[in-house]
Amino acid sequence: MISNIIPGLIMILTSFLLPTIPQYFRHPAMLLSVGLSALSLFNGYGTFLEWDVLGLNLILYQSDSLTFPFSIIFHIAAVLVIIFSWHSKNLMEHMATLAYAGSAIGALHAGDFFSLFIWWEATALTSVFIVFAGNTKAARDAAMRYLIIQVSSGVLLLIGACLLLYQTGNHNLTVLDLTTDFGIFIFIAFGIKAAFPFLNGWLQDSYPESSVTGTVALSAFTTKLAIYALARTFPGTDSLIWIGAIMTAFPVFFAVIENDLRRVLSFSLNNQLGFMVVGIGIGTELSLNGTVAHAFVHIIYKALLFMSMGAVLYRAGTTKASELGGLYKYMPFTTIFCIIGAMSISAFPLFSGFVAKSLIMSSLGGMGMVLIYFILFFASAGVLEHSGIKIPYFAFFAHERKSKVKEAPINMLIAMGIAAVLCIGIGVFPKYLYQILPYTVEYQPYTIDHVISQLQLLVFAIIAFLFLVKFKLYPSEIRSIVLNSDWFYRKMLPGIGKPLFKKIGLLTELIYENLRFFFKLILNKSQKFSNSSYIKVTTPSFAATILISILFIMLLIVLI
Amino acid sequence: MKKNDLKSMGKSFTKYILIIGALLILLDFTFHRHEYFSFAEIYGFPAFFGFISFVFIVLLGKWLRKFLMRKEDYYDQ
Repeated sequence: MISNIIPGLIMILTSFLLPTIPQYFRHPAMLLSVGLSALSLFNGYGTFLEWDVLGLNLILYQSDSLTFPFSIIFHIAAVLVIIFSWHSKNLMEHMATLAYAGSAIGALHAGDFFSLFIWWEATALTSVFIVFAGNTKAARDAAMRYLIIQVSSGVLLLIGACLLLYQTGNHNLTVLDLTTDFGIFIFIAFGIKAAFPFLNGWLQDSYPESSVTGTVALSAFTTKLAIYALARTFPGTDSLIWIGAIMTAFPVFFAVIENDLRRVLSFSLNNQLGFMVVGIGIGTELSLNGTVAHAFVHIIYKALLFMSMGAVLYRAGTTKASELGGLYKYMPFTTIFCIIGAMSISAFPLFSGFVAKSLIMSSLGGMGMVLIYFILFFASAGVLEHSGIKIPYFAFFAHERKSKVKEAPINMLIAMGIAAVLCIGIGVFPKYLYQILPYTVEYQPYTIDHVISQLQLLVFAIIAFLFLVKFKLYPSEIRSIVLNSDWFYRKMLPGIGKPLFKKIGLLTELIYENLRFFFKLILNKSQKFSNSSYIKVTTPSFAATILISILFIMLLIVLI
Repeated sequence: MKKNDLKSMGKSFTKYILIIGALLILLDFTFHRHEYFSFAEIYGFPAFFGFISFVFIVLLGKWLRKFLMRKEDYYDQ
């Protein structure tokens, strides 16, 4: 029965078959597998597949009102990525992408921590090949760091799951808190993948190093799987409100000065996750709906923005702000799609970001959390700065371009077009999004107060931008990198570790030298002794002398 | 004229944005805007907040360059 097959599994199986399929049919086959997997969306809610193994009851396939919206959007994202990469012949990347999307969908439907762990590691192992497929030295190095961090997250999850089973006898996905040790392990495991403050370095390190198409795939799944996992196990955990608020505010400053536009988008992705984490922290039905809605629309507009920058990278050969500008003339469609993505993420009314973010803001306002409310309001101006203005401005406008480039290939335009239509469609008809959210909540995002308030914020932030550019206060693009939390393990730890190990090395060498000298001494003495001319009759042989010496030393050691 | 395409686009964009901004502020006087927090109901509060936030973000970011910006080959050294 098809209803008993884990969603996503068919995508993973298809990915293994891809090398046997002729190049021409690979993308249709990939799309077909996503379509077959998506049939699971019609199964309804319930537990469909369990497996008793090693005395454990693993729930391999379950679905409910929380998995459903995530499953829909993961399937949509997979389709967008496949269409966007239609021109590409990179087999390894296609296999990795399909298996990665399949693993993420499988993870959504896991009903216990051990099955979740397996899928959790599967997403890590499959996605690292997407980073590898960037096929530069920087990409390969970043992939190794990415793998270490992602696998560490999995190991922490496994430790947490084992402790949970040992201490409570239960390993099903349940609501946990931070008063238990297993709760803390699992929280950090999820926190790494959700790019919590100081655990976020891997994201900005690896995503921009991936290929034109790879980054689009990466942006959709890992972090949103972590958001799903947090929403399932830690709803209403107070510390998440502050963690989320810091996540919304801090990446904003890094994004302002970052030169690589795909890295700017990675900082922006981090800031968007912050909004979702705040929603989980509040833990009301309205705020959890807000988190899910935000994850849903975010995957689409973030993919759209990464696709537009992918198209720029594909045609212009770089996404460095300092090298770009003036592309609007040559890539008009990409420009329009990018602006639609930018307006969606900035939460302009009638675009998808607005109808999702409103839910989280309203739940904050309703609970009277004034400080967090204004941190998020402030961060909204920040989103407009880096994703709303900086991305389209530096890529497509800024100054005239001297050399010509071509418009993006047709498959890229189709993928971007679909995403753009979804961004506007959801913004104009939010009720279709609200219908699939976990809780039934009556909510109207388009009130006059709300629309005017948001428009004032955005329009005057744009005026501030024009003002800063006019008076030459806006930071110019400089070929550079910005330090991030990956600095701690890329520079600081080696900085401490290398001299330290050098010292230890010198010390061991010194000890070794002394030992060698000592043994040489014994050797010489015994040789002299055995060769001496005046003892002729009972001279012990050379070997015997050494043995006796060693025994003597051992006796000394034992005595001491 | 061709050379100034971007400049003229920028100028007309600035003009329209300023008009929209002015309209939004005027609109604020025509009705009472309900907010979750009473001080946010002051005329033009979101506009003021947006403008100040944006300038703050950009200028602080620019200042942070002193501490956070490195050459592109920083990690290869």
